[in-house]
Amino acid sequence: MTDYVTRFSVRQRIEHACIGLLFIVLAVTGLTQEFFPMRWAEWTILTMGGIDRVRWVHRGAGILFTVLVVFHLGAGMWQAVSRLSRPAIIPTRKDFLDAIMMVRYYLRLSDQQPRFGRFDYRQKWEYWGMVLGSVVMIVTGFMLYFPVLTARFLPGEVIPAALIAHGREGLLAFLVIITWHLFNAHLSPEAFPFDPSIFTGKISRERMEDEHPLEYEQMLVGGGESPGEPTSGETADQG
Amino acid sequence: MGRRMPAIFGFFLLGSAAVAAFQSGALGAALPAEDLSNDVCLACHSDPSASTRLGNGKTFSLYVSHKALAGSVHAGLACTDCHSDITTVPHPTRTFADEHAVSLAYYQVCKQCHFDEYSRLLDDVHYAALAKANENAPTCVDCHGSHAIAPPAQPRSRISKACARCHTTIADEYVKSVHGKALIEQGNNDVPVCTDCHHAHDTANPLSASWHLQIPQLCAGCHANKQLMAKYGISTEVLSTFLNDFHGMTASLQSSEKARPREFTATCTDCHGVHDIRQVNGEGLQAIKVHLLATCRRCHIDASPNFPSAWVGHYEPSLRHSPLVYGVKLFYAVFIPFVIGGLVLQILLHLWRAVVNR
Repeated sequence: MTDYVTRFSVRQRIEHACIGLLFIVLAVTGLTQEFFPMRWAEWTILTMGGIDRVRWVHRGAGILFTVLVVFHLGAGMWQAVSRLSRPAIIPTRKDFLDAIMMVRYYLRLSDQQPRFGRFDYRQKWEYWGMVLGSVVMIVTGFMLYFPVLTARFLPGEVIPAALIAHGREGLLAFLVIITWHLFNAHLSPEAFPFDPSIFTGKISRERMEDEHPLEYEQMLVGGGESPGEPTSGETADQG
Repeated sequence: MGRRMPAIFGFFLLGSAAVAAFQSGALGAALPAEDLSNDVCLACHSDPSASTRLGNGKTFSLYVSHKALAGSVHAGLACTDCHSDITTVPHPTRTFADEHAVSLAYYQVCKQCHFDEYSRLLDDVHYAALAKANENAPTCVDCHGSHAIAPPAQPRSRISKACARCHTTIADEYVKSVHGKALIEQGNNDVPVCTDCHHAHDTANPLSASWHLQIPQLCAGCHANKQLMAKYGISTEVLSTFLNDFHGMTASLQSSEKARPREFTATCTDCHGVHDIRQVNGEGLQAIKVHLLATCRRCHIDASPNFPSAWVGHYEPSLRHSPLVYGVKLFYAVFIPFVIGGLVLQILLHLWRAVVNR
């Protein structure tokens, strides 16, 4: 038996790298605009070549981000429909029960931890949070990119509201990434110092048994050495 | 040849100096320079009919009123302090093409004392016009007068009147504006006169990008002054609400950039007007609203009639003013701490349990 099993497909790894890179570009060019009255933000904008250039880079990265999100969700839905299978990333009743069980475990009301499948409830939460956040960012972003077109169909007041929503939602996404995502992928005792699964596509058998026991059991019953191609277009951000 | 040039040049200089000395000696009649008191000058120049003929055929008065001179800020000066080219009486005849040539011949005299003003003049649009030999360009005396020079800002309306001598169209607009009316009709000294915005002596080109981008700060000089605005019941949030908007942010950041922006963003004057600024209530508000769509369309060419409502006015969003924006703000003010707080709590619980397990 090898020590590693495959967890993510090449496509999923590429998608993660792209979305990560675009997220950084969008955060740097976006948060500096959100906080422009502050010295550091103004300095960063001026150093990057001025507000006009920063805005065009932000818009360009936003378009690529949109393409990636649309492609990802489209491909996921197509796979789900064409294979008639339920994507593993879809939340189920078990996820809610798992969350409650986990809280009980944290509070030492129970010593039993929930056993997870391919994705645990935290990963699903982060994934769907990111999807919903992306939809808000994309919709409000394009409203701000094309304010004249927006005002043709909606009341004008929607535009300043979109400006607030875009800035705050972006800030929220940034805060989630630097707290939750960095903790789970780098700082948690299980992952420290760095969980490379999403970049290498592999996960150790040991961690697989620990963190995704249900999926591992299914894999062994299926007789395969690896879970193989995931059954849907899901992308989780950590192993 | 290179070695012989200086010798020849030196000889030439010596020669001309000798000629100059001879000339002044020959013309020098009764009185040397130190005896030229004001009384000596006024002996001739207090005659109201004293005049000379200019090159353009016009008569140029040489009359200097005793009274004007005594009432001037320069009452303590001697005539020859300024007219230092006059060293003898009778003095040599000088001919000038026109009045402009007269003031050109003398305007350098002012800088002997007013060097600060003169050095600022080097950034001035009027001075730039003067340097290009524009005969309409003003010199010191065109604004300040010559023999009857008074303090320029007493009363303040004098300043605007001085500018109005050339800038007639703008002056007409200004006197009808909220600022102009208060100044002229009520003698209100809080309102800006021309130089409060345009400066004196270093008047910048108001059509330049850098000028346009600093307009918000210019207006904020008064309109963000709480004490001053309280007198008139005007909100001081006008600047912060503008800067929080897309255009305000653009203007603010572009003004810090070295490169000239490709297009101008809207600032105060684009909606409120420049010299014809009106009070933003009643008729004045209607006038702004009527023109707002046209204002937006200067950049947003296809803007629909409801597009101007994207600008929610100079109000902080509240339930009364732009409730949608207020609602979104409120939602995130609750939602962001809720989500991040929850995540941090779970991280802490996770770590705590991991430590306990050991």
